[in-house]
Amino acid sequence: MNDENAVMSTADRLIYMANQIARNVAVMGQDEAAAMVEDHIRSFWDPMMRRQIVALAAERPDALSPIAAAAVGRIAVHCR
Amino acid sequence: MKRVYVSRDMASVALGADEIARTLAQAGCDVVRTGSRGLFSIEPLVEVEMPEGRIGYGPVGAADVGKILDGTHPHRLGDVGALPFFASQQRFTFARCGITDPLSLEDYAAHGGWRGLDAARAAAPQQVVDIVKASGLRGRGGAGFPTGIKWQTVLDAPDGPRFIVCNADEGDSGTFADRMLMEGDPYCLIEGMAIAAHAVGASRGYIYIRSEYPFAIDTMRAAIDRAAGRIAPFVIEVRAGAGAYVCGEETALLDSIEGKRGQVRAKPPLPALKGLFGKPTVINNVLSLAAVPFILAEGAQAYADVGFGRSRGTMPVQLAGNVKHGGLYEVGFGITLGELVNDIGGGTESGRPVRAVQVGGPLGAYFPPSMFHLPFDYEAFAQAGGLIGHAGITVFDDTADMAQMARFAMEFCAVESCGKCTPCRIGSTRGVEVMDRIIAARDAAPVAAEGAAGGYLGEALHSRAPSRIDTGIEAQTALLRDLCDTMKFGSLCALGGFTPYPVLSALDHFPEDFGAPAPIEQAAE
Amino acid sequence: MTFTRETDHGTPPAIATGKSVTLTIDGAQVTMPEGTSIMRAASLTGCSIPKLCATDNVESFGSCRLCLVEVEGRAGYPASCTTPVADGMIVRTQTERLKQLRRGVMELYISDHPLDCLTCPANGDCELQEQAGAVGLREVRYGYDGATNMGQAKDQSNPYFDFDPSKCIVCSRCVRACDEVQGTFALTIEGRGFDSKVSPSQGQDFLSSECVSCGACVQACPTATLTEKKVVEIGTPDRAVVTTCAYCGVGCTFRAEMRGEELVRMVPWKEGKANRGHSCVKGRFAWGYAQHQDRILKPMIRSSVTEPWREVSWDEAIAYTASEFRRIQAQYGARSVGGITSSRCTNEETFLVQKLIRQGFGNNNVDTCARVCHSPTGYGLKTTFGTSAGTQDFDSVMKSDVILVIGANPTDGHPVFGSRMKQRLRQGAKLIVIDPRRIDLVKSPHIEAAHHLPLRPGTNVAMMTALAHVIVTEKLYDEAFIRERCDWDEFEDWAAFVSQPSRSPEAVEPLTGVKAQDARAAARLYATGGNGAIYYGLGVTEHSQGSSTVMAIANLAMATGNVGREGVGVNPLRGQNNVQGSCDMGSFPHEFSGYRHVSDDAVRGLFERKWGVTLDAEPGLRIPNMLDAATEGSFKGLFIQGEDILQSDPNTHHVAAGLAAMECVVVQDLFLNETANYAHIFLPGSTFLEKDGTFTNAERRIQMVRKVMAPLNGYADWEIVQLVAQAVGLDWSYTHPSEIMDEIAELTPTFAGVHYARLEAEGSLQWPANEAAPHGTPTMHIDGFVRGKGKFVVTDYVPTDEKTGPRFPLLLTTGRILSHYNVGAQTRRTANTAWHPEDRLEIHPADAENRGIKDGDWVALRSRAGETALRALITERVAPGVVYTTFHHPDTQANVITTDYSDWATNCPEYKVTAVQVALSNGPSHWQEGYAEHSRLSRRIVPLEAAE
Repeated sequence: MNDENAVMSTADRLIYMANQIARNVAVMGQDEAAAMVEDHIRSFWDPMMRRQIVALAAERPDALSPIAAAAVGRIAVHCR
Repeated sequence: MKRVYVSRDMASVALGADEIARTLAQAGCDVVRTGSRGLFSIEPLVEVEMPEGRIGYGPVGAADVGKILDGTHPHRLGDVGALPFFASQQRFTFARCGITDPLSLEDYAAHGGWRGLDAARAAAPQQVVDIVKASGLRGRGGAGFPTGIKWQTVLDAPDGPRFIVCNADEGDSGTFADRMLMEGDPYCLIEGMAIAAHAVGASRGYIYIRSEYPFAIDTMRAAIDRAAGRIAPFVIEVRAGAGAYVCGEETALLDSIEGKRGQVRAKPPLPALKGLFGKPTVINNVLSLAAVPFILAEGAQAYADVGFGRSRGTMPVQLAGNVKHGGLYEVGFGITLGELVNDIGGGTESGRPVRAVQVGGPLGAYFPPSMFHLPFDYEAFAQAGGLIGHAGITVFDDTADMAQMARFAMEFCAVESCGKCTPCRIGSTRGVEVMDRIIAARDAAPVAAEGAAGGYLGEALHSRAPSRIDTGIEAQTALLRDLCDTMKFGSLCALGGFTPYPVLSALDHFPEDFGAPAPIEQAAE
Repeated sequence: MTFTRETDHGTPPAIATGKSVTLTIDGAQVTMPEGTSIMRAASLTGCSIPKLCATDNVESFGSCRLCLVEVEGRAGYPASCTTPVADGMIVRTQTERLKQLRRGVMELYISDHPLDCLTCPANGDCELQEQAGAVGLREVRYGYDGATNMGQAKDQSNPYFDFDPSKCIVCSRCVRACDEVQGTFALTIEGRGFDSKVSPSQGQDFLSSECVSCGACVQACPTATLTEKKVVEIGTPDRAVVTTCAYCGVGCTFRAEMRGEELVRMVPWKEGKANRGHSCVKGRFAWGYAQHQDRILKPMIRSSVTEPWREVSWDEAIAYTASEFRRIQAQYGARSVGGITSSRCTNEETFLVQKLIRQGFGNNNVDTCARVCHSPTGYGLKTTFGTSAGTQDFDSVMKSDVILVIGANPTDGHPVFGSRMKQRLRQGAKLIVIDPRRIDLVKSPHIEAAHHLPLRPGTNVAMMTALAHVIVTEKLYDEAFIRERCDWDEFEDWAAFVSQPSRSPEAVEPLTGVKAQDARAAARLYATGGNGAIYYGLGVTEHSQGSSTVMAIANLAMATGNVGREGVGVNPLRGQNNVQGSCDMGSFPHEFSGYRHVSDDAVRGLFERKWGVTLDAEPGLRIPNMLDAATEGSFKGLFIQGEDILQSDPNTHHVAAGLAAMECVVVQDLFLNETANYAHIFLPGSTFLEKDGTFTNAERRIQMVRKVMAPLNGYADWEIVQLVAQAVGLDWSYTHPSEIMDEIAELTPTFAGVHYARLEAEGSLQWPANEAAPHGTPTMHIDGFVRGKGKFVVTDYVPTDEKTGPRFPLLLTTGRILSHYNVGAQTRRTANTAWHPEDRLEIHPADAENRGIKDGDWVALRSRAGETALRALITERVAPGVVYTTFHHPDTQANVITTDYSDWATNCPEYKVTAVQVALSNGPSHWQEGYAEHSRLSRRIVPLEAAE
């Protein structure tokens, strides 16, 4: 985080949120954590946000942490 | 080197004992400072140790030292203990007072100290309580409640910390026994508290001493330091009071020790169950606790053998006021009031006839000589409309204005009231005002009561005047009686509740001072 | 004649021992619990003993001496208030002798009391007057020219009540109420004897004293000595309506006492189960906003936020609202609109708003202010226990032995419960405070925390895990409880995690700043000190790890067996009056009422059948997501009921940008709040005094709100929502809120037994209230957790990304103070501003000195998000490195400073941790000046007459 006045863009925020969830459940271990993040996003994110994160995962493959990426990848399968 | 004894009691010091002691020391004497023997007409008193015993001289001054030491002083009293004032006493509690060095542990042990505590500690707590019960000891603070029963309540209270509190807030005018004992024989009180602690399972004690007693506070603190090992694990702490008379009331005293404004608590709960910091607490007067070592050392029977009716043992009576031989006189209950005032006290100091004596401090009743046959006994005094209280007797000669004395009682109550309960808070102030009206009406030529200005309008206006009251003697006297009734039966504690004793006794026995005809029995004498 | 008062039995009920005694009072045989006073026993049997100093919410005192009675076999006349009943006792309360004594006492009272009854504000409502009549006093023979306490100056410094010492009878009821009920110890009796006088603190006036204006003294006063200014102004009330306070989540019950249509005063109601007859300055006195001139009473619209408002008829406003939402949906799609329900409004109103969104707009874009306060509570407690709510009722605290308060400041935020907690602490319960600030509870009269752990903001999870580390490694956990109630394997996983040396108090000490031995001692005390109860507030939830901390708290309670009975539990102190209720009512975008996920087909089917529409099975947008979507261009219309997101939500710039991007923002509120500066339609709201309904407080207690007066704006809020619903084509036809509650009960299993008739009968109900629990559920999880087995969740400490550095070296944390409520919309429009006219920045003397700041200086407060300016208050309440402010004043806009960081699970904003810099400044910042001008322009109104 730099010290500039910051309002995150929506895209940045969605990535940040997915990574943040992943970081907070990472202690469960990769697989369980990814499942947990997937479930969380399914339960609490509106469909448009889900579509956006899936799209973002494709556009910016390095932006998501491995756990978040795994979770978003599983959501993408169901997101036609 | 000559050994001499000079009292360090506050009363003796006030009369010049310190200067005498200094002069004696300069003269090369080994000066032992003792407590007071308790007869103030011979103070300052110097006792010189001679082969035949202690020879007293008193009253004496610093200038008299030469004559004392060469034995030529005209105030040579010989063996002080043999003086009639002392010889007729039964000194159970004050046996050592005036004889020993108050802070000398050797003296204390040599004169029978600690025997009571040793006896108590050899017995089970319940046994100790039983002994105190069997002695018939009653609370010497004034209420006369059996000490053993109070201890039993604390002993039986559910487990948890409990406390011993000694009430040394001796606030009654004309009383000084607590102070004399604390200054003259502090270990006796400490021993009594330690016995109480053993009896009820307390580990901590407090002595609440009024701040007007700096000598007693210093003496007790020094004594507690020296005796700490002897009474361990029991621990005692001195708390200095802040000058309110009401803090002599036991529950207000507890509040004061807890650091609160000293105000009377409603009972129940009894302090024996919920006392200091809400824990079971023995709260006793100095004289009650100081009576205990004798009882334990000599046995309950030795104590109970002395006394009268249900008042067992001895009472340290304090003679004060306008009396020739003022002082402390410890004697078994049953002696008459007349014996105390006339025989022991020697009548008034002024030489005029005795008019009244007040027994039991400023809240005690006034008795005329016609009642001098009363035996000194809780029940007999209660029946006569009075109380023994802390056994202070104040003597007045025939110049006393008893209406002024009644006014003084009300004023005392007004000044000392804690302000919690209404009868005392407002009643005492109103009482002073009523007495002022009575005295004014008595002193004024009889005039018709202030009437209406006349006519219909005048009557109507008068009816709204705020001061529309009957200020005549009869109406005000009736109001005074009603007020006393409200205070006596309505007050929360003894301050307001007992103020009517001096007021009503003055009114009943000396009605002529209240503008009424003298009572028949007195007129007949 | 006055209206009926509550019966005052004179002394509190006896502490239950289970034993009872039988005695005779005035010839009648009665049986009473052991420990009951004669006075109370007599009162309960219908015979009233004269009294003045006794009142049944404080301990007996025995000073007035009017209540003397005769007890056979007992000498004298014991005071009935201080004498407990005993078996076989024969008591006489009315004899000639007693009459005589009582008259004697009363004669003394009146001899020092003014005779101005006819012009006295308490005339007809004065216990002295009443008792003088009762004892038959006809004459005062002392006259009135003696010594007197009359003629002393009145103290009128308090904005809400006057103190007239010349009318004081020195009964100490005010002093005792302040001590025993409120626990502030602000009053004392000064002087002795006849000169005894009630005095606030050390001879100060009321306003400058320690007094917190809770009103307990005024309520306790039997005469006109302490009197509400409103009573002086209006007169004594002649009718009363019992209702529920609309301030904090304690949910105090009040009697709204009226004279005609005018509200005279709010008096806490003894039967209220949340407050037990107590109140705070807000609920008791700060209700004047309801009649404040700032209230908007006519609907208004405008096509752009740069235009002035135009007053319109209700018909026009409603029709315009409906047409705008339908237009937007037609243009941008069904999900382009949403709504925000209000935690200030009733359950019924909240239910209607989410129903409007779901049924009428066909999406789940509904959220509520709980998003920004207790959403982590909902998530955390649902995950671990199975229910999104606290486990106890407030009474429970009286059975606690150890009280752990973390991230809450009950004496300011929840003052009535704070006083209750203090009562228990004075009885000897131990206290642990975990808070960066030295809150009042840490040390106040007769209370001192056993441990205060002043942790660095943002380290809650590490702290709670360290406590767990001690409990597990020292084997202080309750194995039997865990084996029976929880999943043992999950416990073992959790225990292994917390036992890691890196989780120990020693290891995290550099992080939390809390001494390891203090943390260890606190953990031991909580685990072994008897009934342990945890109370927490927004200092737990408003963090990046809010949900983790809630779960860490739940773990701790389960591990020590402190769940499922009285005196223990996990107790979130909810902020707003109905934040629990608004969550219960389905205000979250993923849940229907009763916390059931929208994707659950069975549940959705239930609603679809009842409402006759197909409902969206996908979760909707949360508030910050709505704002994001708005700036992205996909979200265009927002219906906001009773909430001011511009001031209350974090990162004001972000909120403003989102709102500005929308085409139709509807604000329904009492005042033109800050959000309304960005609104197109304003629908005037009604106050809690103007409608019927229910609020649900922090203990899940559903309580009646009753209409005291007609709505000044013409409609109750539920009626307005219904008008909008009808205008968008829904067939709603509720005629009373009770019908809405019937629908809630039909659709929500935990509310199945909640109907107005039941609430009237029971007074209140704590949900779940249904067939299984017809009288409600004071304590949850008694026989097992709602979710089955209690779930231990491993809570890793993930530090926030908001970090201090050279540019922003200090940590800002925010909170509330006693006299103000939330964004201050209500309290700023009352005399409460006398205590807190502005937000101040609390800063430690060392930090202030480094910056050359003196007390009262204007300082600029800057973060990565923005800058504002306010005046400094130098205090050691905050630790070095930490600054603190309140967010009650829009002039300050503390949320210009707060960032977009939020809880990982719920997006609850991280209000409690912002890296900032503080520097001297000359006054308000450019932003503040600009915003003030924007507000002024935005608040221009063209009246209806002129517009026509």
